[in-house]
Amino acid sequence: MTTTTADGLRRPGGSRRIGTRVKLAAQRFAANPMAVCGLALVVFEVGLALFAPVLPLPSPDDIDTLAMLAGPGGTHWLGTDDLGRDTLSRLLWGARVSLASSTCSVALALLVGVPLGLLSGYLGGMFDEVVMRILDSVMALPPLVLALTIAAVLGPGIVNGTLAIAIVAVPTFTRLIRGQVLSIKHDDYVAAARSIGATRRAIIFRHVLPNAINPVIVQAALGVGFAIITESSLSFIGLGAQPPTPSWGSMVQVGFQYLELAPLLALAPAAAIFVAVLGFNLLGEGLRDLLDPNARLR
Amino acid sequence: MLRYALARVLATIPVVVLTSIIVFALMRMLPGDPITVLIGQAHVDVGEQQLVQMRKDLGLDQPVPIQYLHWIKRAVSGDFGRSVQSRQPVWDVLRPRILPTVQIGLTAWLLALVVGIPIGIATATSQNTWKDWAGSVGALIGAAMPYFLVGGLLIYFVALKWRLLPASGFVSPFVDFGASVRTTILPALTLALGLAAVITRQTRASFIDVMQRAFIKTARAKGLTEQRVVSRHAFKNAMLPVVTILGIQLATVFSGAVITETIFAVPGIGRLLVDSILSRDYPVVQAAVLFISLMVVAANLAVDILYGLLDPRIREA
Repeated sequence: MTTTTADGLRRPGGSRRIGTRVKLAAQRFAANPMAVCGLALVVFEVGLALFAPVLPLPSPDDIDTLAMLAGPGGTHWLGTDDLGRDTLSRLLWGARVSLASSTCSVALALLVGVPLGLLSGYLGGMFDEVVMRILDSVMALPPLVLALTIAAVLGPGIVNGTLAIAIVAVPTFTRLIRGQVLSIKHDDYVAAARSIGATRRAIIFRHVLPNAINPVIVQAALGVGFAIITESSLSFIGLGAQPPTPSWGSMVQVGFQYLELAPLLALAPAAAIFVAVLGFNLLGEGLRDLLDPNARLR
Repeated sequence: MLRYALARVLATIPVVVLTSIIVFALMRMLPGDPITVLIGQAHVDVGEQQLVQMRKDLGLDQPVPIQYLHWIKRAVSGDFGRSVQSRQPVWDVLRPRILPTVQIGLTAWLLALVVGIPIGIATATSQNTWKDWAGSVGALIGAAMPYFLVGGLLIYFVALKWRLLPASGFVSPFVDFGASVRTTILPALTLALGLAAVITRQTRASFIDVMQRAFIKTARAKGLTEQRVVSRHAFKNAMLPVVTILGIQLATVFSGAVITETIFAVPGIGRLLVDSILSRDYPVVQAAVLFISLMVVAANLAVDILYGLLDPRIREA
């Protein structure tokens, strides 16, 4: 966060106490309807996912042989699947798998992409050139096609699927933070840090990173939305979560076989994916208005 | 202009080469020796001697970079080897799959354009009215809708309940044009919704930005009608970022095809990719991925050149 002081100098970090700054940020966040809606949707889904084990629901693996492909109502609020398992319960347990996988893949992508972008932007030269060309060609493949191929190489499974999505998401973060670094690395405070003999590591992590991170936070929220869609696509195809683990994508896949008989079987998890993605997208857009007001066109 | 176009074409060569290296490398990282995969499919017993000979015949005893060069030499002439599954040449497997994907993808893309750009302009020129609000919320919802939900709803209501259109399959327009149109509508609509949402948002943002520029004030000051200001002065300038998005979206069309073609049982490239991954038919996977990335590179090239046509500043730079 950069504050402009009365003498017109850009300084990293405000001098206000941390508590006050958090309070101010919370106030601005609360005044942004998009961010609030997004956060509410995200909290709602994450909450349901977290509380799935304690909610009064049948176990996701319990087979009710008397009610296969049952419609909604009675003990099964959203009906059952082809084996007689409760759809609502599987939906909530599936949320745990889908949300955990998506957030992990974004965290991994950040862990690799951000340092890579920082170094690439700050060091420049051959290193930058090589990294950028590699990322260019990775991005020449459509994201889902690349994720599919990597997941096929690694072998099916939720962990490998998560890795594949992380690899696909790295270039976005790297390019984003590299662009930021290029635009601020000649700022006064970076020169000042250099002039007092700060080490390169200290300059990159203590001075450049905090001033370059805002668009990345925004992109991370949007990235979770992308990861949810991609993870469910992988599971839908059969390369993500493996049965009997409930995941939204594999539930949709089974559901499509019984679309006419039990439409909720496919449409309920599809709607859950929609709500989760909408939540993270709104949160991202809201954060963008707060953190990165000049970049709405990007 | 010709020089600019030529420069753009040359600039894509390293990207194509790197992409082909990545595709090749990914395939070599696949679990299992290609030989064992081939033999496993053929169900024959072979001795150690024969294995060595087969390796030699297929060039697998040579260093990996040399193998790459051999592979790319054959790929350029359209020889991708044979499908492990059907034993046909890979190109013969791939070729009939191109038409459905391209037909559905282009239909979706055009549909998204025709819907997204006017809505984007309408929301931008009537900012903070109900029109703007409806358009923007619609775009947010459209962008978050997974293909599963759109496709599932369309199949359930339009195909299964109301029996208006077929739920699956594809008919070539050269066989039965009417049936071809009917099989194209639902998958194209499924793909188009997300695309249209993104185009709407980009058009809106871009128009709002352009409408604040000085030349718009000048155009208004000389007494032009608002409609003329928008259509003559704002439109071309605001379309530049939209053109970029349109190029990126051709890549989205292929990503989407993987899902929509599976949902709607369309025999296209996306479905072929999924099927060949699941049946471990790696020569086909390789060719399909390479084909898709070449299409994306070609689309980006077309966008770059269109950019130069639209904006003289870019081709002079």
